[in-house]
Amino acid sequence: MEFLKRFAKRLGFTLLTILAMSVLIFFLVEIMPGDVAQTVLGQSATEESVAALRDRMGLDDPLHERYLRWAGGFIRGDLGESLYMRGVQINTIFWRKVGHSVVLALTALLFYVPLSILFGVFAGVKEGKAPDAIISFVGLATMALPEFVSGIILITVFAVGLEILPIASIIPIGENLWQNLDILVLPALSITFVMFGYVSRMQRSSMVSVMKADYIRAAILKGMPRKYVIFRHALKNALLPTITIIGMNMGWLFGGLIVVETLFGFPGLGSLTMSAIKTRDIPLIEACVLFITFIFVFATFTTDMLYAFLNPRIRYKRGDA
Amino acid sequence: MKTEPVLEIKELDVAYHTLTDTVVALKGVSLSVAKNEALGIIGESGCGKSTLFYAIMDYLPVSSSRSGEILFKGEDLVVKTPKQMTKFRGSKIAMVYQNPYSSLNPSLTIGFQLEEVSMFHHGMSRKEARQAAVETLSDLHLGDAAGIVRRYPHQISGGMQQRICIAMALLCKPDLMILDEPTTALDVTTEAVILDIIKELKDKYNMSLIYISHDIGVVNKVSDRIAVMYRGEVVEFGNQNTIYKKPEHPYTRALINCMPRAGVLKENTQLNTIPGYVSRRSAAETGCPFVARCEKRNATCEEKYGMVERKPDHFSACDRAYATDIPDKVLSKEAGSIPEGAEPEHKTILKIDNLYKYYGPHGKRIRALDGVDLTLDRNNVLGVVGESGCGKSTMGHTISGLMRPTRGKIIFDGTNISVSWRKRSPETLRDIQLIFQNPGRSLNPSFTIENIIGRPMLKLLGIKSKQKRRKLIVDILKKVDLGEEYLFRRPKQLSGGEMQRAAVARAFSIAPNLLVCDEPTSALDASVQASVLNLLVDLQKDSGAAYIFISHDLNVINYLSDYIMVMYLGRICEYGKKTEVGGSPRHPYTEALLSAVPDVDPSLKRGEIRLHGAPPNPTKKIKGCPFAGRCHRKVGSVCDTTPPPRVNFSDTHFAYCHISPEVLNSEISVKGIKK
Ligand code: SF4
Ligand code: SF4
Repeated sequence: MEFLKRFAKRLGFTLLTILAMSVLIFFLVEIMPGDVAQTVLGQSATEESVAALRDRMGLDDPLHERYLRWAGGFIRGDLGESLYMRGVQINTIFWRKVGHSVVLALTALLFYVPLSILFGVFAGVKEGKAPDAIISFVGLATMALPEFVSGIILITVFAVGLEILPIASIIPIGENLWQNLDILVLPALSITFVMFGYVSRMQRSSMVSVMKADYIRAAILKGMPRKYVIFRHALKNALLPTITIIGMNMGWLFGGLIVVETLFGFPGLGSLTMSAIKTRDIPLIEACVLFITFIFVFATFTTDMLYAFLNPRIRYKRGDA
Repeated sequence: MKTEPVLEIKELDVAYHTLTDTVVALKGVSLSVAKNEALGIIGESGCGKSTLFYAIMDYLPVSSSRSGEILFKGEDLVVKTPKQMTKFRGSKIAMVYQNPYSSLNPSLTIGFQLEEVSMFHHGMSRKEARQAAVETLSDLHLGDAAGIVRRYPHQISGGMQQRICIAMALLCKPDLMILDEPTTALDVTTEAVILDIIKELKDKYNMSLIYISHDIGVVNKVSDRIAVMYRGEVVEFGNQNTIYKKPEHPYTRALINCMPRAGVLKENTQLNTIPGYVSRRSAAETGCPFVARCEKRNATCEEKYGMVERKPDHFSACDRAYATDIPDKVLSKEAGSIPEGAEPEHKTILKIDNLYKYYGPHGKRIRALDGVDLTLDRNNVLGVVGESGCGKSTMGHTISGLMRPTRGKIIFDGTNISVSWRKRSPETLRDIQLIFQNPGRSLNPSFTIENIIGRPMLKLLGIKSKQKRRKLIVDILKKVDLGEEYLFRRPKQLSGGEMQRAAVARAFSIAPNLLVCDEPTSALDASVQASVLNLLVDLQKDSGAAYIFISHDLNVINYLSDYIMVMYLGRICEYGKKTEVGGSPRHPYTEALLSAVPDVDPSLKRGEIRLHGAPPNPTKKIKGCPFAGRCHRKVGSVCDTTPPPRVNFSDTHFAYCHISPEVLNSEISVKGIKK
C-alpha cells in the first residue's frame, strides 16, 4: 500500500518533470538567434523560398500552437522531419541509433557495476589493509582520467598495440550491430574506467559502515561464518547507497556516451546529437535532448523505486505491534 | 564452589594498543560462574564490563592483546582459532545486547534471523528451523509467534525486539548467556517483564547467566552473586545481599551511596559523590585502581592491596570500606542536612489549564498532551514521571517555550505565556530556564564556557560590563564546583558531568524562577548523577526557584521531588505529594510503575504487577481511559468508552480512574515499598 502510494507519487512527479523539460527545450531552441528557415536554406536563398519554408514548417503560427503540435507529435511517436537531411523522417534513423547507444550503455553497465561492487565490497571488508589501498588507488587513478584520455590509452593498447580490437566503432554498410559486437568493447571499457572509481568507492564506504553495525556484530557472535555474514547480512544493506549512486549517475553515463561515441565514431545517440548540433538540425536536436532528459528522469525514478523495494523500512509502514 | 563451573576466568588481562601507548582495559580478572547461576557485573562506564564480554567471545579489535585463561567447561577459549570459536558463539555461549533494534538486521525478516542459528549450529533444514523458532518464541510469551516471524524488526515494539533477541540466544539451548545491559533501552514496566522472563528461562533451560549493567537495581533482580568492576579490575565479588549491606571495598560502598534509592530523600540525605572521574589506565600503573578517588586511602594501601577471600564466598581487593581511622564523609553529610528555619513561602508561580499539544498532519495526529492541568508553587519541585511517549518532555518543552501548545493556557506569574518564545517578554525568558538530557548538544561547541554563561547575562540581564560578568560567572562556576580555570574551556574539553554542571550554571546565572529539567541525569553515571542531583537540590534551596523535573527514573524522582505527577499517553494519571504518590499510590498505573522499579537494596520486596503489551498507537483518539488496554484492574467497558473521573483523596492528591473512590482507598494501598 505504502509502496504503491510512493510509486504513484513519484511517477506523477516524473511525468511533470518531463513536461516541464519539454517546454524548456522547445523555448530554448525557439529563442536561438537567427531565422530557422534562413538558416536551413543558407544565406543565398531567395525571399520566396524562405517564406515558403516558413509556411511549410508552420513557423508563423502562434508559439503555443507550435509547441502543442510538436509535443503532440512526440506523444504520437512522430519526431518530425530532419532539416539537414531533407525529407528524412527522424524516426527512421533516431531509434536505430538510440538502440545502439542503449546496447553500449548496457554493456558498460554490465562491465562496471559487478566489477565495482565486487571490488568495493572486497576493499570494504579488508578496510585498512593492502587490498583496500590498492583498489582505492586504482579507482582514484582511473577516475581522474577523462574518457577521451582513457579511450586513447585503450586504443593504443588494444587496437594499435595488440591489434585485437577495432580502432573505430564503425558498422560496415549492410551489416548491423549484432554482427560487430567487438566494436562495443573499447567504448564500454573507457566508460568503465571513469565509473569504476566512483562506484567502488561508494560501495567500499557503505560496506565499511555496515560492517561496523551492531547487527553485524550480533550475527558474528551468533556463530555465523564470516563469508555468510558478509553476503547474507551485510551486502543487502550495503548495496542500497550504491544503487542510488549508480542510478543517479545514469545521466552522467549518457554524458560520457556522447564523448566516447564521438571519439570512437560509434553510431549512437551521442554521435547523432553531436552531428545534429553541428548541422543545426533543430528538430533532431530537440528529439535528442528530450530523449536524454527522458532517460535521466526515468533512471532516477527507477532507482528510487528499486531503493524502496530493497529497503523494507520504506516498503512497509511500521505496523502497530 | 558448588559444582564444576561453567565458566572460569583466570587472571585475564586485555590491553588496547595505539601507536603511541597502551591502555589497560582488563587487569587480572578472575571470576567463575557455576551451572544455573546468575552472575551480575556492575560498574560505571569505562570500567571494562563490555570488554570483559568481548574478551570471552574473542571479539576484540585487532589492535588489542589478551592473556590469561578463559575456561569454558574446561576448554580454554583463549587458545581457540576464530574458526573454532564459531562453534561456541551463538550455540554454547549466547548474547543479548543493549539495543535490540540495532542488533537486528533491518533488511531480513525476524524468521530468517532466527532460523539461521539452528540451521548453522544444528544442521536443521529451513522448515525444521522455522518450527524451532516458533517454539522458542512461544516460550517468551509472544502471542502470535507464527505471524511475528514474517515481520521485519522495525515493525514490532522495542520490548518485542528484545524478546526476539533473547529467543535468538536461546535457540541452541546455550550453557551460558551473556546479557549486556539488555533492558537499559526499555521502559521500566517492559523491563520488569523482560527480567521476569530471563529469570524464568534461566531455570527452565538450566543455563548460567552473566548479566552486565550499570544499574545495581536491575542486576539485583536476576543475579545471585555480584561482581563490582572498577577500571578493568574486579574489586569485589560476593552474594548480592552482602554486596549491598556489608561491602568491604570502599568503591562499592561509595557507589551504592551515590544511588538514589528507597528511603533516601533529599530531606534526610545528601547523595554521596566520588570526586574525580574514571581515568584511562596505563600499562605502568600498579596497585589499587581506586587510589586517586578513595577517601579511605592511607599509608598501608600500597602493600596490602589484593583480591582476598575475606569471608566465605566474598572476595574483595580491599577491606577498608568502613575503616574508622578516616571519618566517613557520607555520615557527616547525612547529619548536616536537616531542614532548618521557617517554612518557605508558597506562592503559585505556574498554572496550566487544559493543555493540548498535537503533532503531525490530520489523520496521523499524535496527541502528545491531551488535556493537562497543574499548578506549581515557588520552592517546590514537581517530579513528572512516565514512560517514553507519555508526553512528559512535550510538557516541559511547551512550558519553556520551545513549542507552542495546540490549545490551553500556561499562566506564569500571572501572565499568559502560551505563545512561542519569540513573543515572550524578556522577563519571562529569563525566568524560565531549561536543562536538557544531553548537555553536549545544548552547549554551543565553538564558545568558551565564559561566553556560554555570559551570553544570557548580557542579553537577558543587560549586564554590559565584561568585568562584572566575569566576576558573576566565576561565582556561579564555584557554586557548581567548577573552578575559575573552566572559564576558557570549550564544551568538548569537559566530561559529561562537567558539561551538565556548566549547563546548570548557565541556567542559574540569570536567577530563574522556574527551571525545567528534562532527564538531566539520564546519560550520566551514578557517581556523576549524584553530584548533579546534589547541586540541583542545593541551588533550589538557595534560590527558592520552582523545578519541573522530568525523568523516567522513579528513584531519582522520589529523591528530588516534593510533588509527583504520573503521566500516561498525554494525560495525568495521578498527582500528589511525594509521600502520597510514592507511599500510597491509588491509580493502577502508578501501582504498576512502582512495582516495576528495580531496587538498589535487594532485600526490598515490591508488588508483582506486570503490564503486558505496549501503550496504544498515539495517533488514535482515545475515548475512555488511555490505560484501559493494559490495565490489570480494568472495571469494564466503561473504561473504554468514558473518560475516567477525577477522584480526590486529599487536598493535594488525586487520580483519574473509574474504580470507585472507596475501593481505591482501601484496596490499593501501600503497594509501594515494603520492608
Ligand atoms: S587500597 Fe586504599 S585506596 Fe585502594 S580502595 Fe582500599 S583504602 Fe582505598
Ligand atoms: S479507568 Fe479503568 S482502565 Fe483506567 S486505570 Fe482505572 S480501572 Fe484501569
